[in-house]
Amino acid sequence: MKSEKFLRLIPYPLSLFTVLLLAVSLLFAAQPVDLEEQVRRIAAELRCPVCQNLSVADSPSELAQQMRGVVLEQLKEGKSPEQIKAYFVSKYGEWVLLAPQPKGFNLLIWLLPFVAVTAGIVLVAFVVRRWARKKPGGQPATVDPALMKRVQREAALERPLAVDPEAEGPHAPLLQQQARLYADLKELEFDYQAGKLSQADYQDLRQLSEIQAANVLKEIEISRRQIAKARKAKPMERPTPGREAARPLFRRGWVLAGAGLFLLLFGLTLGILLSRSLRPRGSEQETITGDFLTGSSKEPQSLLAQGRSAFERQEWAQAIEAFKKALAIDATNPEAHTYMGLILAQAGHSEGALMAFDQALSRDPNFPLALWGKGMLLYRAKGDFSGARQNLEKLASLLPAGKEKEELQQTLAELSSQQGKRVKTKKAAGRAQEIRGVVSIDPKLKAQADGQAVLFIIARLANSPGGSPLAVKRIDRPLFPLPYSLGQENVMMAGVPLSGKVTISARLDKDGNLMTREGDLMGEYKKNPVEVGSEKIDIVLDQVM
Amino acid sequence: MPWSRILITLAIVLSLIALLAYGFGRDPRYIPSPLLGRPAPSFAVTLFDGGKLSLEDLRGKVVFLNFWASWCPPCRAEAKDLEEIWQRWKDKDVVFLGINIQDQEDDALAFLKEFHITYPNGRDGSGKTAIGYGVWGIPETFFIDRKGRITYKHVGTLGQTLIAAKLEEARRSLVSAKEGKGSYQSIR
Repeated sequence: MKSEKFLRLIPYPLSLFTVLLLAVSLLFAAQPVDLEEQVRRIAAELRCPVCQNLSVADSPSELAQQMRGVVLEQLKEGKSPEQIKAYFVSKYGEWVLLAPQPKGFNLLIWLLPFVAVTAGIVLVAFVVRRWARKKPGGQPATVDPALMKRVQREAALERPLAVDPEAEGPHAPLLQQQARLYADLKELEFDYQAGKLSQADYQDLRQLSEIQAANVLKEIEISRRQIAKARKAKPMERPTPGREAARPLFRRGWVLAGAGLFLLLFGLTLGILLSRSLRPRGSEQETITGDFLTGSSKEPQSLLAQGRSAFERQEWAQAIEAFKKALAIDATNPEAHTYMGLILAQAGHSEGALMAFDQALSRDPNFPLALWGKGMLLYRAKGDFSGARQNLEKLASLLPAGKEKEELQQTLAELSSQQGKRVKTKKAAGRAQEIRGVVSIDPKLKAQADGQAVLFIIARLANSPGGSPLAVKRIDRPLFPLPYSLGQENVMMAGVPLSGKVTISARLDKDGNLMTREGDLMGEYKKNPVEVGSEKIDIVLDQVM
Repeated sequence: MPWSRILITLAIVLSLIALLAYGFGRDPRYIPSPLLGRPAPSFAVTLFDGGKLSLEDLRGKVVFLNFWASWCPPCRAEAKDLEEIWQRWKDKDVVFLGINIQDQEDDALAFLKEFHITYPNGRDGSGKTAIGYGVWGIPETFFIDRKGRITYKHVGTLGQTLIAAKLEEARRSLVSAKEGKGSYQSIR
């Protein structure tokens, strides 16, 4: 053998040593594998707390991973699987075990399936036995010879029995069965005569049909006798034949109606529950069923109340949720829009807030809270004093005299003084040193504008057109058309005033530095140069570098 | 006879519907905690400022233990509240301790900076402390009395009034009968 030869090449003690080493290393290598398997086994019995019906072993979640780490650590400390499971139970409760312990109430879960299976078997056995007993038996021993004779006689007639297939009455099905059996007998006879059947087969089949027919005759007899007895017992209440026929039908109708009602009820319940539950969950806070069974109502009024109270508690997420739901029912609800605006405003999103207030006011131009919110937003966040004044004055005209109105008047007074100051400063210094206008982009070049680009608006001194810029305004990721103003704060060198005649140009730069590059979009004011202090210096970006 | 049959059917159907309704109405994520009233599991965390803190160091003080992560919106929602109430309670033998879980250190530091949090905060990188407290939804908060017993547990945001009330109860070693629930985020 090759391996023997190979072993012979190695000195004996050395080979023994290698084998030993190999064995030991294998042993050590085997242990971690074993440990891993042990971890997996324990983890497979634990339920992952943040998943739905996944074991800690199967879950990819971070928590499950950390829990496996804890299991491994405790195994290394020498704890038994039972102790480790008990540890998790002491932290997360019995809930954490995928298979609940068969104790107390839990025992029911373990026993119920077996009880149900046994009960099912018993029920099936019972029902089958009842069916078996009911079935018309074919035992020849019970057949009355007189009846047999009658069957043979009747079947032999040229036209044995004519039964109207639509005949009604208590025996109609039996009579039909009888006619069918007689027809079978006739056919058998015919087949036998034609040589299609052997004598033995013919006799067997004939006897079978005759016995069945005799049994049917007997049943008809019995049922006739029973009806006669019933009529004798209650001669006064002799039912008309119509009612007699209708009675079983009436009962069947009851059963059908009951079953229908049950199905309808079940279907409705399932439909309602499923349609409520099978929808994307808006947030983690929602339960699977949404608000359907947990009590909270879908009425806009109560949703608004929920939102207001959450707003007062400063629980913004809940408030937003409630107002969103209210808006889902009534898309133009002014109160919901207003509160959304207030929430947005306090979060610093003044544009969104303004939009929300406007939406509220478009439905109800006199909605006080929206007027107040919009006015205060324009005043504090936007510095649009005249807009603020307009809204707040409208509000003041709506408010009844009282504390709120007084406060509002105070705010308005404050606003006027601020406005006055602003106008003065503007007249004194502001205007003369500014250039205002709008930058827009040539529709043909719109496709080339990069959403990430940077816009530079540059003012150069008119007497050195190619020279270095006097003032530059940088706007990241501009949206066109873009109103701009170039002022003293944009001047590149400190101490140099922005004044005199300048040329104005704009450049949309892809990499964000002042150097021009291929592909940048350029534009110039068409009537350069301009005097500092001019307005409506509109620039169109219409050249490609 | 038919009436009794109808009644029986109705009873069975209605009880099945009631069971279904109960099942749908439950929050399937909710895990009741066995920790209420029991000794708080011991832990030792490394604080963001480099120091170490263990539960044993805090014996004799009421502890407000809050598990959080920077990616959890309800944690952000209540961060301001927690700092405010800490400012009001810090001289009353109460210790606030935040434990950051399942998070990046940078994100956690940015969170602390954003909300100007001054009470001690530590990181539970391995998740051992969180598992020790059976944490599954954050923010999750434990109130621990002077003897180291958990008096109240709350999953989700608390609100200042509730915090104040539960701190007062913890000072008097009153164990709540039930844990509380606010808006929370399941951990990952």
